[in-house]
Amino acid sequence: MSGRVIGANLVVSITSFSREKSAMFFTLAFPIILILVFGTIFLNQDNVSFDLSVQDLDQTNSSAQLVKTLELNGKFKISAVDPAANPTQYAKDKKVNLVVVIPRGYERAFARRLGLVGGIPTPAFRDPNASVTVTYIYDPSASSTSTKIQLIRSGVELVNQGMSGQPPFIRAAETSTLTKKYRFIEFFVPGIIAMSIMTSSLSGAVNVNAELRQKGVIRKLSSTPITRTDWILSNILYQFILALVSTTAILVVSYAVFGVRLHTNAWLFVFIVLEVFAFGGLGMILTRVANEAESATAAANFIMFPMMFLSGSFFPLEMMPGFLQTIARGLPLYYVNEGLRASMVFADNTAALRASAMIGVFATVVFVLGIKTTRWEEGK
Amino acid sequence: MTTPPDPAIAVDHLTKRYGDLLAVNDISFHVRTGEVFAFLGPNGAGKSTTVEIIETIRTPTSGTVRVLGVDVRARKHDIVPRIGVLPQGFSSFDRITVRETIQYYARIFRRRNIDVDGLIQLANLKDKRNEQFKNLSGGLKQRLGIAIALVNDPEVVFLDEPTTGLDPRARREVWDVLLSLKKNGKTVFLTTHYMEEAELLADTVAIISKGEIIARGSPGELIESNANYLTLTLKIIGEAASEIIRRMGFAPASDDHQNITVKVEHTDDIQKILNALQGAGASPLSLDVRKPNLEAVFLKLTGEALREGSVEGVPE
Repeated sequence: MSGRVIGANLVVSITSFSREKSAMFFTLAFPIILILVFGTIFLNQDNVSFDLSVQDLDQTNSSAQLVKTLELNGKFKISAVDPAANPTQYAKDKKVNLVVVIPRGYERAFARRLGLVGGIPTPAFRDPNASVTVTYIYDPSASSTSTKIQLIRSGVELVNQGMSGQPPFIRAAETSTLTKKYRFIEFFVPGIIAMSIMTSSLSGAVNVNAELRQKGVIRKLSSTPITRTDWILSNILYQFILALVSTTAILVVSYAVFGVRLHTNAWLFVFIVLEVFAFGGLGMILTRVANEAESATAAANFIMFPMMFLSGSFFPLEMMPGFLQTIARGLPLYYVNEGLRASMVFADNTAALRASAMIGVFATVVFVLGIKTTRWEEGK
Repeated sequence: MTTPPDPAIAVDHLTKRYGDLLAVNDISFHVRTGEVFAFLGPNGAGKSTTVEIIETIRTPTSGTVRVLGVDVRARKHDIVPRIGVLPQGFSSFDRITVRETIQYYARIFRRRNIDVDGLIQLANLKDKRNEQFKNLSGGLKQRLGIAIALVNDPEVVFLDEPTTGLDPRARREVWDVLLSLKKNGKTVFLTTHYMEEAELLADTVAIISKGEIIARGSPGELIESNANYLTLTLKIIGEAASEIIRRMGFAPASDDHQNITVKVEHTDDIQKILNALQGAGASPLSLDVRKPNLEAVFLKLTGEALREGSVEGVPE
């Protein structure tokens, strides 16, 4: 092993990288764009509000009070629908996915139920069977409709419960398992770091080994004093430097733009090293298995893209069906995601250690196989 | 009595198999120090396999190869710093400039004080020194490849088809570089498709066919021993001339342009043919006498012409 040779390879790799705009984009700009886009989308996830169209056919003080109640402390921004309009047509024309219709006679039925005469409660006039039907006209294909109807139902339940005159039997108390409140972006950043390192290490190893072999550069290098160990180590070191640069860029943007609060400790370094070895090794194996550079790149994409979506980089595993969750737990990227979140978000050393052991075993096996399968001399 | 110097390259009973395919079959030859040795063969004859084994890029199935007295299989790391290699279809890092590429290889060979500009000058790449590899033409890339092959000031230089795919002008520019190597006393091992290249540059030529060496010697010796005849071409109006020449015991061949070609063994035969034609009133309008070249030798020995643009189908 020669430091001088490894240094020379690093200079060439970094110079080539700095002159290749597409590589720069996918390594640095792409993860930052993802952070900015998703971070902005989910910036105020806790204070999310929906649009709700309400047609008040009663036009009374009581119905106006109900509309006010339906705002649910800001969960809905109410738009009034003209009482003369056909609500179904309105929903279609205005591309609204839910219209709530308050019927005529709402106030009268309300007064009968409470026994109000001239606004004064009169028990003798109370009618416990008096009721009204509020109609939901909705588009079942819209993803937010069911959430909105759920929220309205909970509002209606509150009204019904209030009118019963009895205190609720079951009250709810909420306690978070986390020591402090986290935002979506703080869960998202470790996933993007893991994804970014995986793509650059895997495609980097494939490009370097398959493309340069196909072009004949490796054949030339094998007639020089460079050894296979020098070559592999310099490539791994190069991938590690890229991983550090892209992780730093992602963290700087996340801190500067979204003010994330994450723990950046030694675990981050550990997971970067393990992930580079794991996916760099996988890339070396793919290069050996595939005959041509194009096939190796296709094989790398075939592995990378499903792994990105299945291993919880972008959304929680709990959103997936059970069998996909089982598959996800067999993927190496899942353990990098889990480990990075455990260390960066929850500061949970035990969970980070567990994840690092899993990815460590995978990295060791794959990297050793990668070294053994990488050809240096031709036609052994 | 002085003992002859050790050969720069000694190949003994070299064999290389790829599964059932016998690519190189028990060949032996020596290359003298300071000579330009041209290795010729049709596609698939085993020449690239042989040269890549000598260059340490491939491993042999059996046999020994010694370069500068060192067994290349046992002591690869001792010999690599002493040789320079231009592999077939040379390529390098796309986005690295000519100058940076030479500096890179110099660092790999641990040559601190290398004269980068001198090498750029030698390869006639001064105007392109800051050009990235991907922007170079085929000829410029080959010249850069030769400059890199010289970066460690090697004692033996291997050039595997250095002019294949180049236009005539670029080919001549590469020849100039090779001639300067020859002038500097480097031992050069050259494989080529071009007979004129071998004739112009080589001191010794070896021809390999179907994995075996079928001829070896200087271009002059090979021509002398394998194509000892002269080709007489006559331009004559009328059809009687061919018959006259045939009756003299020769085998004339005619083309559509009233050219008659005859192979003769002695210069006296030319005079006899001319006298006979003159006597019959069929004097030629023009005549041309040529010695055979290396290509004729190659055709005779291998039964096929060298073709450019196809690479030996060697499995990896």
